[in-house]
Amino acid sequence: MTESAQRGGTAASNGVEPEGLVAGAFRGRKIVLTGFTGFLGKVFLALLLEEVPGVGQVVLLIRRKGRKEPSVRRFERAVDSSPVFRQLRRQHPTDLPAWLGRRVRVVDADVEKPGCELNQDAMAVLAGADLVVHCAGLVDFEPDPLRAISVNVGGAQHVAALATRLGARLLHVSTAYVAGIGSRTVPESIEVGLSPSGVRFTPAAELRALQLACRTAGDDLAARITAANARAGALGWANIYTYTKGLAEHAIATREQVTIVRPTIVECARTFPFPGWNEGINTAGPLAWLITTAFRRLPTAPDHAFDVIPVDDVARGMLLIGAEILAGRGGGVFQLGSSDHNPMSFGRCVELTGLAHRKWSRRHERGWRPWLLRQLDPVAAPEEADGGLGLGAGPEWLEAAGEALAWADRHRERWGALGEWLGPRLDGASRRVAGWEDDVERVTRMLKLYRPFIFDNGYVFRTDRVRALPSDASVRWEVGQLDWCHYWVDVEYPGLRKWCIPLLEHRRPPTEPVPASPFRLPEGVSA
Amino acid sequence: MSTAAFVRAEGVLVDRPAVACAGWLAANALAPAERALRLGGVALSVPLWLSGDAAAGTRLAWSALRGTTVDRLEVLGLEYWEARVLPRLSRLGLDLCERARAAGHRLVVVTDLPEPVGRHLGQHLRVDALVCNHLEARSNRLTGRLLDPLASAFGGAALRGLAERNGYDLGSSAAYGSAAGDAVLLSGIGRPCVVAPDRGLRRLARDLDWPVVEA
Repeated sequence: MTESAQRGGTAASNGVEPEGLVAGAFRGRKIVLTGFTGFLGKVFLALLLEEVPGVGQVVLLIRRKGRKEPSVRRFERAVDSSPVFRQLRRQHPTDLPAWLGRRVRVVDADVEKPGCELNQDAMAVLAGADLVVHCAGLVDFEPDPLRAISVNVGGAQHVAALATRLGARLLHVSTAYVAGIGSRTVPESIEVGLSPSGVRFTPAAELRALQLACRTAGDDLAARITAANARAGALGWANIYTYTKGLAEHAIATREQVTIVRPTIVECARTFPFPGWNEGINTAGPLAWLITTAFRRLPTAPDHAFDVIPVDDVARGMLLIGAEILAGRGGGVFQLGSSDHNPMSFGRCVELTGLAHRKWSRRHERGWRPWLLRQLDPVAAPEEADGGLGLGAGPEWLEAAGEALAWADRHRERWGALGEWLGPRLDGASRRVAGWEDDVERVTRMLKLYRPFIFDNGYVFRTDRVRALPSDASVRWEVGQLDWCHYWVDVEYPGLRKWCIPLLEHRRPPTEPVPASPFRLPEGVSA
Repeated sequence: MSTAAFVRAEGVLVDRPAVACAGWLAANALAPAERALRLGGVALSVPLWLSGDAAAGTRLAWSALRGTTVDRLEVLGLEYWEARVLPRLSRLGLDLCERARAAGHRLVVVTDLPEPVGRHLGQHLRVDALVCNHLEARSNRLTGRLLDPLASAFGGAALRGLAERNGYDLGSSAAYGSAAGDAVLLSGIGRPCVVAPDRGLRRLARDLDWPVVEA
């Protein structure tokens, strides 16, 4: 019996409400967390503090931002400004600094550097850690490959080495899409040194080759991306993101006490911290944004599963897996997704997005254009027209319209009064056409990036392991019971409208009210 | 034993027949061609309605929605309720419901609307029981079949079964209807009342000495 289980038993025998399995497993433990500043990291920390107030200590490894903002300030700013901490701020209106100060330590660290750049004081804080949760990662589909190598591969290696040095177990967050190119059922396993396309490779050698290819491309970012994509494609990965996450898995999987967690597509929160919460631009955001434009044909394979999982369900899964790891039963690969037990197809998702937009727009928008868009449902466009992007003749029509307007503008001076009258109207029309052309360009770029996941390949991700885990009253795997219609229409889409689409339209999403006095942790909780 | 007020929604609370809902849903199908096809299907049911065969008309109208997703029915059902039914609820019908409740009756609403629309009507009126139509679905798509029994034929054994399950004394209960088709329901209740009736029901009310409430 583990120490935490013994403690749980004592509580129950004293007539105190018995604590859950997760709370029992985490109680009194020291957890190290990277990637707190990201979407999943924040939700995981907030959920851990909410579900396991008895957790021993959570040490956050946060990179300082330049000289001016040490890691502790980044944490404090997040507590003040992130809606994730709304509930905690409400629950502890006066004693939040002391409450968090007892549970959270913040350490300056850089996972991209060997040893995570931890000094002796920091190592002293980390000593005795039970579990390291590595959430940090670069999630752009097409980042600078050198940076992706540094963050996704180097970061995983450095954190894994740190966990070994601390004698702690590691929970490494990867992505289910390391499965690579090719429609199939993806098992919860990894064969180190075997790429998705079946090519044998050595992770270290591949990493060196990739770095060399990037350096050969020099300062030209586009050339670096092309070189990295070529290597990714040769091994069967769809893009730089999945390639570097895949390499990271292969690089650390042979270490002892490593558990790999692969979420699928992480979307808005179902219930925690509140329905619809989202930070940054997620995968469904741009697809939902397309519906707000005149674009009505989404190039998706209607029958393929769109494997989506709410961020709080990922965090719950991580807590359940963390509890298993702490009980000595972790290891291997866990996938967190929905396609094998509660699948939502792309066809269904496209229709739900149209319905969600219709419902949202009816309540928030007035005028003929929103009305018209509400009447025109988006449809999945499975056919291979226009390179499979479903844009139809739109780009050609726009180009022709732009040329016609430019011609009219060049010749209008000859048309006397009519030309004068037309002047401002032509300017307005040209601006509109230019805006639509920009939209089409963005859409084209976006769809090319998404194509492998929404069109070319159909995946079913096995999630047997997480579904077989014991759950308790407060932390459960409930993805099987998720009502997609309600989630997509009433939670996901409104969440995207509020938190994600403003970013795509270069606007700011809503911010939290500025507190009367900024949150500050008590002295001595950072190293 | 308690008493109940059975209110037929169509004619008493709502001025549109449920086939209008089928037509509206057909007109809001996914793709334009599908809309035309489904609307045509609903239109085919009109002669049956006009000939007085409401049950066959209802079945034919809803069969035009075969293949529509349950998601669509759910989301558009709410829109239909909010945009087409709620703003047009009859003041007289609402007053009758309120008075019935004040008199100590349980409120039972009987409607031909499908459950995803009727549910909102029921919640709005805080009904004790709702009798509505249920559309059969398989794999998230409507089969186009209405499950038996149809709400339009509610009365007789179905009425007695509901009363038995809920402990209603039908002899002391009230019922409100407005069309000749409601006669089955009204005749099974101790205190029937007709509201703004059509010609057929007006004649019947006169013959059976049922009270008539004019709009």
